[in-house]
Amino acid sequence: MQPEPAVLLAVLALPFVGAAVTPLVYRVLGERTAYFAAAVATACLALVLSQHGTHGTVSVEWIPQLGVNLVLYLDGLAFLVALLASGVGILVFTYSGGYMHGEPGQAKYYTTLLVFMGAMLGVALAADLVALFVFWELTSVSSFVLIGHYQRETSSLYASRKSMLITVSGGLFMLVGFLVLASASTDALGTSTFALFGYGDVPGLVENADAVRSTLTEQGLLLPVVALVGLGAATKSAQVPFHIWLPNAMEAPTPVSAFLHSATMVKAGVYLVGRFRPLFVPGGEDVYFAEAWLPVFVVLGLLTMTVAAMLAVSATDIKELLAYSTASHLGLIVAGFGFAVSYGGEAGAFHILNHASFKAALFLVAGIVAHEAGTRNIAELSGLRDDLPITTIIATVACLSMAGIPPFNGFFSKELLFEAAWETGAHFGGLWFLVPAIAVFGSIFTFLYSIRFLSLFYGDRPEGLGEVHSPPLAMLAPAAVLGLAVVAISLRPNLAIELVAGDAYAAVAPGEAHSFTVPWPIPLEPSPYALMSLATILFGAAAYPFYDRLHGAIARARTVPYTSPNAYYDGGLAALERTSALVPGYVQTRMFRTYAASTMLAVCALALGGYLVAGVTVPVPEGLSSLTVLGLVGGVPLAVVLLVALFGAAAVGIADSHVAGVLTLSILGFMVAIFYVLASAPDLALTQLVIETLVLLIFLLVLDKLPAWYGSLDVREAVPDAVVAGVVGVTVTLTVLVTTSAQPSQNIASFFVERAPVPEEHGPVLVDSGGGGNIVNVILVDFRAFDTLGEITVVAMAALAVLTLVGMRNRGEDV
Amino acid sequence: MSTDTDTTVIARTVVRVVVPVILLTAVALLLQGHNLPGGGFIAGVLTVTAFALVYIVFGREFLQRELLHVDDDGFLGGSIGEYGRTFTFGLALAASSGLAAIVVGELFAGGRYEFITQGVWFVYHVPVYHEIEIPTALFFDLGVYFVVVGALLTILAVVGRE
Repeated sequence: MQPEPAVLLAVLALPFVGAAVTPLVYRVLGERTAYFAAAVATACLALVLSQHGTHGTVSVEWIPQLGVNLVLYLDGLAFLVALLASGVGILVFTYSGGYMHGEPGQAKYYTTLLVFMGAMLGVALAADLVALFVFWELTSVSSFVLIGHYQRETSSLYASRKSMLITVSGGLFMLVGFLVLASASTDALGTSTFALFGYGDVPGLVENADAVRSTLTEQGLLLPVVALVGLGAATKSAQVPFHIWLPNAMEAPTPVSAFLHSATMVKAGVYLVGRFRPLFVPGGEDVYFAEAWLPVFVVLGLLTMTVAAMLAVSATDIKELLAYSTASHLGLIVAGFGFAVSYGGEAGAFHILNHASFKAALFLVAGIVAHEAGTRNIAELSGLRDDLPITTIIATVACLSMAGIPPFNGFFSKELLFEAAWETGAHFGGLWFLVPAIAVFGSIFTFLYSIRFLSLFYGDRPEGLGEVHSPPLAMLAPAAVLGLAVVAISLRPNLAIELVAGDAYAAVAPGEAHSFTVPWPIPLEPSPYALMSLATILFGAAAYPFYDRLHGAIARARTVPYTSPNAYYDGGLAALERTSALVPGYVQTRMFRTYAASTMLAVCALALGGYLVAGVTVPVPEGLSSLTVLGLVGGVPLAVVLLVALFGAAAVGIADSHVAGVLTLSILGFMVAIFYVLASAPDLALTQLVIETLVLLIFLLVLDKLPAWYGSLDVREAVPDAVVAGVVGVTVTLTVLVTTSAQPSQNIASFFVERAPVPEEHGPVLVDSGGGGNIVNVILVDFRAFDTLGEITVVAMAALAVLTLVGMRNRGEDV
Repeated sequence: MSTDTDTTVIARTVVRVVVPVILLTAVALLLQGHNLPGGGFIAGVLTVTAFALVYIVFGREFLQRELLHVDDDGFLGGSIGEYGRTFTFGLALAASSGLAAIVVGELFAGGRYEFITQGVWFVYHVPVYHEIEIPTALFFDLGVYFVVVGALLTILAVVGRE
């Protein structure tokens, strides 16, 4: 069934419209703006839900004259991500109503959060790569603003810049990948297209996956495209070694962490991997390998899953632990999508849902703990169950799910990943058995830190912990809703798959896909993957007593220099900053002469380069004949005028004071005016005369302020100046020669001549001609009035610039 | 900077005679622009020249007090603010004359808006002139005139203050 175009468009537009009016709403509602934003999110969710089960492309005409359309696409995966963006959005907005109480900058906060939600929905619904890229970068930008919410904190600024640099630059690599893909589509599909899914006459990339893939393989572009798209996904989804921005991003207010940095934005990366999966993974029953795709994403995913889980064990702050854990689980999803066997896609699709449910819940729990206990340090927290009973229940459910303990929902998706890892390992044999081994190894650490997080709520209450308040309902309710979601999916996993995750799997699977089921509550038949799950839990339980030693050992290992990507990031940034500091010394000299010289030389270089590229031949005036023509036209007067002008120009060069310079320069100007008179151009002559007079007056006005004499000439300054002047002169002369040699079409001139004047016979009112005897003026105010409007706008802008730059220069903040 | 005291009697007398002539010429150039050499731009620059002469010979104080009747010497409240409003008005006038032509053309002429001069009125039997032509493009030219006057005077005043 096709989705309804109006509904999809409304889903996309609502958050942005909401964001636009949020500053106004904030003036009226104050802190209750949170519930306004939650209402917007609810409307989006309702609209998204109304489209459940639909599948297809809708195209909305945007600029039909140019063939530009806004194309949206909805399938199971897009539905899942849109569901998370709007659903978790409601909870996060509600939670913010309690959490952000008394915090600064709330109007900005809700505006940005709504923009983010819109951008995320855009990422989910975009049917074409350009739109996808635009929304993708918009999520990065809004994340940048939200991480830097506390603008005065150095750590916030560091964190927001880090996330921006990493995710946006990754996005640019992705864009290059898209461009390569679009250029390859020319050969594969016969037309260059950015469309992932076809509409109208435009073919879609995914629908022609085999053709696109074989073209890419022929041209040797398969690995580059996978790597470039992978870089975009890896930076966005915090995959090793780009995971470093995610722990810093926890500087953001906790609702933001729950929303952007666990449930949605970081899911954009895995969403991208899922989107491209049917393009790069060949369809069919017995497919175990996808060229370039499987090695890149399985290695990336498993590496991230393991390394990030180990780093989570070494964390000392609850939000840091959750951040690393998020990276680790995203690694699991990426690895799942990386496998070519169907279980991989199932694992990824189902885990997107499961991870969003338990991790968002845990972030909200962490926010409650930090807010009520006043600390986020793991060592200081313990035995919170008496103070926060409901929170404890939510945390218990979510942690057990995160640890992958049956029958909680996290178990089922992890079991599917084990299944994919085992099938792939067993099929190829040999070293490939490392794949399931690493999956188990990483999962053991996941188990460890999940139980450690849970232990905050049990055991003895430490002496140092002060009074812990119970959280407000606005904070508790969203966490409880997410906890209930975990319970619901755990109780009826196959229903959740049937409703949501199955369709999402169908979207990431190549060709016709079937839905899938998981054994509930626990797998009863002995199988290698069931054993892997069992081994994970047993090893984890056995290692847990040594948690502190592991924690210490990993923390020590992290201090070894140059093993951390952070060192490279900081070092690279420091080097960049040093380099940037050098540039102003050369570029910004604060001397007008440098700017003038560089501007003029640049203009000349562009103009001359343009002539060179265009292959313009310079028409040489034919000897003296053209001068003779001038002489014939103007006769002796013209020769005299030109001679005087030449003398004037020469005199400017040898003038030794400003007054002499200005006066000799105006000789030149007045001679030009007389030349216009002789050449029968009265309008030009008038203008030139008047302007020349005014400029002379203004010069006289400012001459007071300048030194009277030029002073002695320094050869080291004079020679470069002479070169600049020479280059400018040559360029201008060439330009005049080139432009005047071209004969404009006679039609336009005759058109003006015909249409400008008053016709012979006319009534009291004319409507079909210029109605003026002065063609120059009719051209200026009528035929070419738009040009004139532009010119007077420039004049007005110049006046404004003088007004602000010169007149108000001392009116900055420091006055 | 020139003040009331350091200019000669000759200069002041000449300016006193010349400035009205310049302004009159400017207005004439503006109005006859459609048929004879002239137009908003030239007229504007000429007007500014007249102001500049007064400014140099009689000083800023005199210009503000006697000609513009602005007492306030504040930055935007004074003459500069006046100039700023002038070019803003000019720009608005020029732009709206174009818009009006489009709207009127769309409404009454069935989309024929090739000419800003949607209409040229001829007024006959006027004393001295006999026949006067008033094109709608005059409004556009007036806009140009005000922009040029306002902008150049702003520049002159700001630079002159320094």
